[in-house]
This record gives sequence, structure tokens and C-alpha cells, in this order.
Amino acid sequence: MMDGLIGDRERHRILMVSDFFYPNFGGVESHIYCLSQCLLKLGHKVVVMTHVYGNRSGVRYMTNGLKVYYIPWRPFLMQNTLPTIYGTLPIIRTILIRERITLVHGHSAFSTLCHEALIHARTMGYKVIFTDHSLYGFADVGSIHMNKVLQFTLADVSQAICVSHTSKENTVLRSGLPPEKVFVIPNAVDTAMFTPAPENPRSNDEIIIVVISRLVYRKGADLLVEVIPEVCRLYPHVRFVVGGDGPKRVRLEEMREKHFLQDRVEMLGAVPHSRVRSILVSGHIFLNSSLTEAFCIAILEAASCGLLTVSTRVGGVPEVLPDDMVVLAEPDPVDMVQAIKKAITILPTIDPQDMHKRVKKLYDWHDVARRTEIVYDRAMKCSNQNLLERLSRYLSCGSWAGKLFCLVMIIDFLLFHLLQLVQPAIDIEEVPNMVMSLGEGSTAGDDIPEQSSR
Amino acid sequence: MGENSFAHRKYTYFHDQKYPCEAIDIHHIEVQSNGAKGVFVSLLAAIVVGNALYLVLVKEKSVTLLFSSFLLWAFLRKLLLGKPVKKESVVIMPTLGVQLETLYLSGRIMRQFVPVSKILKPVLQECVTPVTCYWSLSLVMREEEELAPVFKELRPPLKMLVPVWKALCAATDEGSSHSCTEDGGNAEDGVQSEKNP
Repeated sequence: MMDGLIGDRERHRILMVSDFFYPNFGGVESHIYCLSQCLLKLGHKVVVMTHVYGNRSGVRYMTNGLKVYYIPWRPFLMQNTLPTIYGTLPIIRTILIRERITLVHGHSAFSTLCHEALIHARTMGYKVIFTDHSLYGFADVGSIHMNKVLQFTLADVSQAICVSHTSKENTVLRSGLPPEKVFVIPNAVDTAMFTPAPENPRSNDEIIIVVISRLVYRKGADLLVEVIPEVCRLYPHVRFVVGGDGPKRVRLEEMREKHFLQDRVEMLGAVPHSRVRSILVSGHIFLNSSLTEAFCIAILEAASCGLLTVSTRVGGVPEVLPDDMVVLAEPDPVDMVQAIKKAITILPTIDPQDMHKRVKKLYDWHDVARRTEIVYDRAMKCSNQNLLERLSRYLSCGSWAGKLFCLVMIIDFLLFHLLQLVQPAIDIEEVPNMVMSLGEGSTAGDDIPEQSSR
Repeated sequence: MGENSFAHRKYTYFHDQKYPCEAIDIHHIEVQSNGAKGVFVSLLAAIVVGNALYLVLVKEKSVTLLFSSFLLWAFLRKLLLGKPVKKESVVIMPTLGVQLETLYLSGRIMRQFVPVSKILKPVLQECVTPVTCYWSLSLVMREEEELAPVFKELRPPLKMLVPVWKALCAATDEGSSHSCTEDGGNAEDGVQSEKNP
């Protein structure tokens, strides 16, 4: 009975760890969810671990038997669990043993739970993968400390994944990771959900520009405040629809009042994820003014809905769409107005259905899952190292930082062995393989050895 | 008839088969007390109290130190030995209800009776705490928000909970024709488990 293989490929049992997951909505959250669903379809077993959200605590099951552990550690700042370094060791060990995990995959450098899970998993001898979803600076105090923490976590990671080549460069520079260990696997978009409107909504006199983003500094809300009045002045037939909320919303409201644009700029407030598509298809052009972006899923969603995109040329944005689907500009109001002007002139040549078909061929979550599987296979082939060899990697992180990290890892190692004495692994029962029957008897099968799922 | 039983680590499961299952079905889970832990705790007591006595009598420190040392010992004892439970039993009477009994080391017995009309469904669920995760068997009650745990103090392993769960399902499903193993409802409630042979 070939329990661990599907065909000739190895079958993995993956633990996804991040502070950011459903019921929160965002790039990282939907990345983890979509990737997990596609990996389940490929026959692997996926378990997600995150912190408690409100009342949502304990074990929950999502579509296709995706098991999620909402561990009862309260978030303390920006959805991050309180970083106690060793506090989460017992629960992580319990989950790793009871689910018979082979591989731990952490997401997002901003997530404290992810960092803790990765270092504990390494102490316990599991193979570890990290996916970085954002670009980060180098200069200010916050960045310096953040980068040091990242350097610590990534000193001993098996493989890493970045969502764009720019992001790979950024991660490698911040963490000192050898570039051979970093793979680039772009995000994808659910093209089945983001489809263009069936009939062309273009009434030849009016052009609608859609903006959907969090209204914060990072996403360029200040640029919008400069650009919108200028465009409205130059083009009387252009209207704006702004979705999203945030601290900068007040500035946009003020701008509306000052230039008397109440009938030309519509503010929708926070938009639930399920309504994003209906707002996108009502427009013709999508405007993205982010000041930094590792990979912009928003413009991909807009392109999938058949909108022409105008975006700032930052981070990984130029890598996302072909040149004829996007008009790029420097993050400067004058340049952006020029770009919008160009977009308006080429708008008649755009066919939304054709754009959607092209995006569908270019981006697919199943493709992302297959490429991630290759990274997992590579990670499993990494050699197991004992504590002393690993400590030498930590020492190279810095003169005082290296010694501090070594101390942290030695204490972690001792605590792990103490835990093995107090609560031996055979006391932790393994979870039996579940078969979820969905009402009418159709089984979204997890695994029964006779089932070939490929 | 006899009884069938099996043990796992410090827990032992007994299924009384003296009486016919249709009338009354009894399951016990017993805990073996750990001798080594008891010795360790007594030693700890001797050290803590002895130290306190020495400080009070010889070094002339305040007597409150003696009291606080007793408190410390009581706290450590509770932490290490846990609850003094000897056995927990489930007596299932299919037409009447379920009686849950807890027998403590001191001889005290706590009983709770749940009438069968109040039980909606017995469920096996995973409970997650900040440091661990364990299986527990509970009863979903009609018109009540909280679940009633079947084993109040002990945390027996899953393979001991499953026969009790099946027996409870059979008893509470007496009226309806569909069997307990086909649970197509909310996945969160009762997951159909299929163990690997």
C-alpha cells in the first residue's frame, strides 16, 4: 500500500502558518486559501494554523476538508499574536505531531506567529518554507529591526518563495539568504469569479475610473487627492468611483468638497470582497496609485474583469501584466495624469472579453500549486542538520545579534527536550484520517489508500 | 458475559457486558495513579516545609513565611498531581437517559443524570487550548447553549471515546431509522471518522 505517494510524486502533509487568514480578507489570506485548495486537489493534506478571531476559536473545517486551527492566542497589534518566543512551542508541537505534518509553510514577514512557528519547527527537525508577500524598506528603525528578525528566521529555512523578481531581490538583500534558495512563484487570480460584464457597458460619452484600495499612505491615497481634481478638470466626461476605507478617507472627502466634485466622485466606503467584482465591471479604467507593492493582485483582478489599468511603476507591478494591458507612470501626480490621458485614448481598442481570456491563460492557481509542489519536493531533499551545524548559521547573522540568536535557539532546543520528557510524543494521539461526507454522499475524500486522486 | 477492556498509558477502558445492551449499557474509564509522582510531591513537601521551619525557628524569620510555604506546597501539589479522580463512568439507559458519574480518590461520587429527551446529539470534537489540543466527547442539549461534557475531569484518548460515542448515538437514535455512522450534517459537529486499518 503506497501510502505516501501519488503516482510517482511524493505526498506531503503541509501546515500553513500565518496570523492572517479568514475571516480577515486580504492578499495573504486569499493566497493561503487558494493555494491550500489547489494543493488539496493535487492530493496533499493541508492544515492551516492561525490565531483566534473574535469568537472563532478552536478547530474549523472549510471547503474540501481544509482544517483550520484558530489557536486561542489573542492578537495584540495589527492582527499579530503576542510574540512570547517560546509560548507557542507546546501547541505547535502538539499540532505537528497529531496531524503528522511533514512540512511547515509560513506566510508573511509581518506575522509573529509565522516567525515563531518556523523557528520551533526547525528546532523539532521539520522542513520549513517561507513565502514573503511584501516589500520592505531598509532605512528606518522599524525596518532595521524587522529585517534582523527576518534574518534570524530565514537563517535556517529550507526554501523560500517570493511573489515577484523584485520581491526576491528585496528579500535576499534584507535577509542575507542565498539566492539559490529563493523561488519566484507569482500570485494568481480566481478568473472564474472575476469575469467581465456580459455586454459592453461603454456608453460612448462617459468613462468611469475605478479605484479600490485601502485609503492609507502606503497605497498612495495622497496621490489620488492630487490626481482626481486634475483629471476631472481636463475631462468633463470622466467619473470616479472610489471604494475602500482608511485614515486618508477624510482627505478625499475634503478634496471632493473643495472642488465641488460630489456628483463626479462617488465614495463607496469599505467594500466587502464579494462585491468587488460588481464594482469593477461597472468601470472602464482601474487606477492603482500604490507607493510600494510586491505583487499587485488588485490590478490582476481588474484585468480579469476587462478593465484597462493605470498604475504606478513601483515594486513588482511591471511584472504583473503585459504592456498592452497596463499603462505605467511614476508615482508623481503630473505623470499619472499623463498616463490617464493615454489610457483614455487607447480605451476604444480594448476588448474586455479578450483581456479576460488572456489573463485566464496567464494566471492560474493550479499552476501556482504545481510550482509550489516542486519547491516542497526540493525542500524535502534538504539534508537534516544537527544543532551545532545550525548554530553556525545563526552566528553569521551579526556580531552581537548572532550570539543572541544562538542563545535563543539553544534555549528553544532545551525547552523542546524538556517538553518531550513532560509530555512524550506517544501521549499525543494522531488524528485519524477523516472522510467528509457532504450530504448527498459525495465524498470530498481526504485519503483512503485505494483512492487515486490524480 | 464478561466485560471487555483495554488500556492506553494511564487510562483503562471497561465495558460492562453483564446486562443486555438494550436495557443498560455501562462504560468506565479508570486512571492509574502515578506512584512516582506521589513520591516526588511528598519529597517536595518535605523540602519546602522543612526549609520554612528552618527559616522560622533558626533564622527567626516571621511565621507568615511558614503559612506561605504551605500555600506554595498546596499549589505545586495541585499543579503536579492534578485532580484526584479515580474513575469516570457513563451509564446509558436507552429509554430513560444517561447517567454520568465521577468517582474521586477520596470516595466521593458526583453524579449527573441527563434525560434522553434533552439530548440532541453526542459529538466528538477537538478542543484547543493555548498549550495543547485534545479530543472530548460532549452532548449537544436541546434548548441549552452550552455543551455538556461526558467526561468532566479526565481526558481519555480518542480510541476510548469512540465506543462510548457510538453507544450514545445508538441510544439517542432509537426512534429514527438512520444509523449513527452516516453523519452528513455540520462537519464541525460529528465527524465521521474512518481509521486506517
